[in-house]
Amino acid sequence: MAAGPATRIYPFMPGGSADGTKLISGAIALSDLTDKPRFGLKGRGSSAWLAAQGIALPAVNRIGEHRGMRVLRLGNEDILLLAEGADETLGEVKAAWQAATAPKGYSSWREEGWAWMRLSDPRLAEAMSALCALDLRPQKFGADDIAQTRVGHIEAVTFRSPAGFDILFDITASAYFARTVAAVAGHTDQHRGLS
Amino acid sequence: MKLLTCPMNGPRNIDEFQSFGPVRARPDPNATADREWSRHLFRAENRKGIVVEWWRHVPSNYFFLAERDLVSNEIIRTFDASELRDHA
Repeated sequence: MAAGPATRIYPFMPGGSADGTKLISGAIALSDLTDKPRFGLKGRGSSAWLAAQGIALPAVNRIGEHRGMRVLRLGNEDILLLAEGADETLGEVKAAWQAATAPKGYSSWREEGWAWMRLSDPRLAEAMSALCALDLRPQKFGADDIAQTRVGHIEAVTFRSPAGFDILFDITASAYFARTVAAVAGHTDQHRGLS
Repeated sequence: MKLLTCPMNGPRNIDEFQSFGPVRARPDPNATADREWSRHLFRAENRKGIVVEWWRHVPSNYFFLAERDLVSNEIIRTFDASELRDHA
């Protein structure tokens, strides 16, 4: 049977490649949103096509909003729609894109290629400063900013979410990333005499 | 830590970048002898001065250009490739 959305297995799921890897919880919590709906378009025509659907595109490395979806502009012609809790709206956009004729960009397969994780914690700033070299303090890095950089030594896209920071990266590095965050959390605890 | 300023993403650790070598004119295949092709493909310039190079910011897969001093290894400026095209 072909693996459709209903049968797709993600790395941390039972049977997934990272099955058994612990996602830390507690003072610093890591949660996996990889099975949440998203859709990326890339290449010539992507921006124009999305704009023609009435989706207001933010500047590069900024986040916009469209009917409950977050619109991430990763490049001039590289846009990612995150539809946590907005499955229907995303479904409409995807259906319209499938039916449209070129030029409309091409699918960047972000729902397949990227893992989507969320770090949340009261001491998040401390953990992020150990994971990422950029200055991510609120006065420097706002709610609609995107950083395309390295987080936990791997190429990643990170931005704020109400709960903390969201991180998108190569799905094949899922277990590695979970272990790196766990190591950083342990280190943070040791410094505070909590372990 | 050495920093390089990406025109799209701002100043970053140079570890985040990959160098793609100097910008060079592609020889005309109909008017280039084997000797010149060989030179183009296999020999690198080793002069002093300023070079314009292709660089890539890996996390965002963004290609841009940098002017670099070959003696001091100082990056003089970085800019989007459209700037070179607009001036061509």
